[in-house]
Amino acid sequence: MNELRPDPSNTVPTETPDTATGPDDLELVARSQAGDTSAFNELVIRYRNRAYAMIYNMVRNEQDAWDLAQDGFLKAWKSINRFRGQSSFYTWLYRILMNVAIDSLRKKQIEGGQEFDDQIGLHNIAPGAATAPKSEMEPAERISDKEIRQRIDEAIAKLSPEHRTAIVMREIDGLEYTEIAEQMGCSLGTVMSRLFYARKKLQALLKDVYETI
Amino acid sequence: MKPFEEQFTAWVDGKLTDAELAEFEKQLAEHPEAMADRNDALKLGRLLRAHPPVSEIPNPDFFNHQLLQRIEAEMPKPRVVEKKQWSFWSIPGLAWAGAASLIVAGALFATMIPGGPKHLETSTYFAQVVENWSTDPNVTASTVYDPKDQMTVVWLDGLDYIPATYALNK
Repeated sequence: MNELRPDPSNTVPTETPDTATGPDDLELVARSQAGDTSAFNELVIRYRNRAYAMIYNMVRNEQDAWDLAQDGFLKAWKSINRFRGQSSFYTWLYRILMNVAIDSLRKKQIEGGQEFDDQIGLHNIAPGAATAPKSEMEPAERISDKEIRQRIDEAIAKLSPEHRTAIVMREIDGLEYTEIAEQMGCSLGTVMSRLFYARKKLQALLKDVYETI
Repeated sequence: MKPFEEQFTAWVDGKLTDAELAEFEKQLAEHPEAMADRNDALKLGRLLRAHPPVSEIPNPDFFNHQLLQRIEAEMPKPRVVEKKQWSFWSIPGLAWAGAASLIVAGALFATMIPGGPKHLETSTYFAQVVENWSTDPNVTASTVYDPKDQMTVVWLDGLDYIPATYALNK
């Protein structure tokens, strides 16, 4: 069962626990529902890396991701009795974590008065047009992994919370359109539209990166 | 019919059905850059997946420790019913002691005082001589109560004299 990873080409596992020994998730969930914090602690150990990485993909800040992962797990604990086992524990947790991350992004957007213009640079670009001139770089000019991550962080940070969520869910977490739509509470058409503009903007910002590696 | 953006996205992700793909390919003639843009989108996807920003959470043990502390702080505290040690000086203790004292006093009053409570009904005195004795073995002390005059007489037999300080002042 791998509901979150239907695309085998996706290289990012989304449901495999960080540690896979000991009792299964459902047993730990049942014990957590009975108030056993040690069982919940075991679930946290299993999924904390994945949760942190997923949130980091959204917020692009280590401290924020750490804090929000805590908030997400705390919310999961508070609502653990609502988990009915209709999906895997991680699928259920994923939704909570994603909502925590989106709420944080929206809050920051409001507090900072920041507006994301996902249409920036796209007004004069036809949907099928190339987004930036191709540039050739010498090997000496090739950018390091650290620089690449920094460029990706900066580019994703320029997306609106909705577009960021869509691109992270699709490209990094490997969710299907229907799953993204369900998680984001929008239509399939909206998901595809968000993906279109998110990709366009990222292509414009990262063209020189993916053309040189 | 879906907007071009939606069809393009589904095309990039390989989600078009055969019929949709055939329909979409007819539109590609109007979008000559679409194929290059699709390749760019695929490269972008590979770039994002190849560079996951982080794989491990910093300070994992502290993460769990702090989380458990927050969970415990959020959990409703079970109401601890303290079993108090019985203490004489507690209010119930004093009440019980008082009640017991009243009962004992009443019993003593009823059994040991000559005439008992009936006697008090006609007395205006608040004090009654219950017992008398002398520290001098040569002196015997006794009391006599006169109900007629409602008076108690203390009789000291064998006393040579009464010290001046004990003399009644008229």
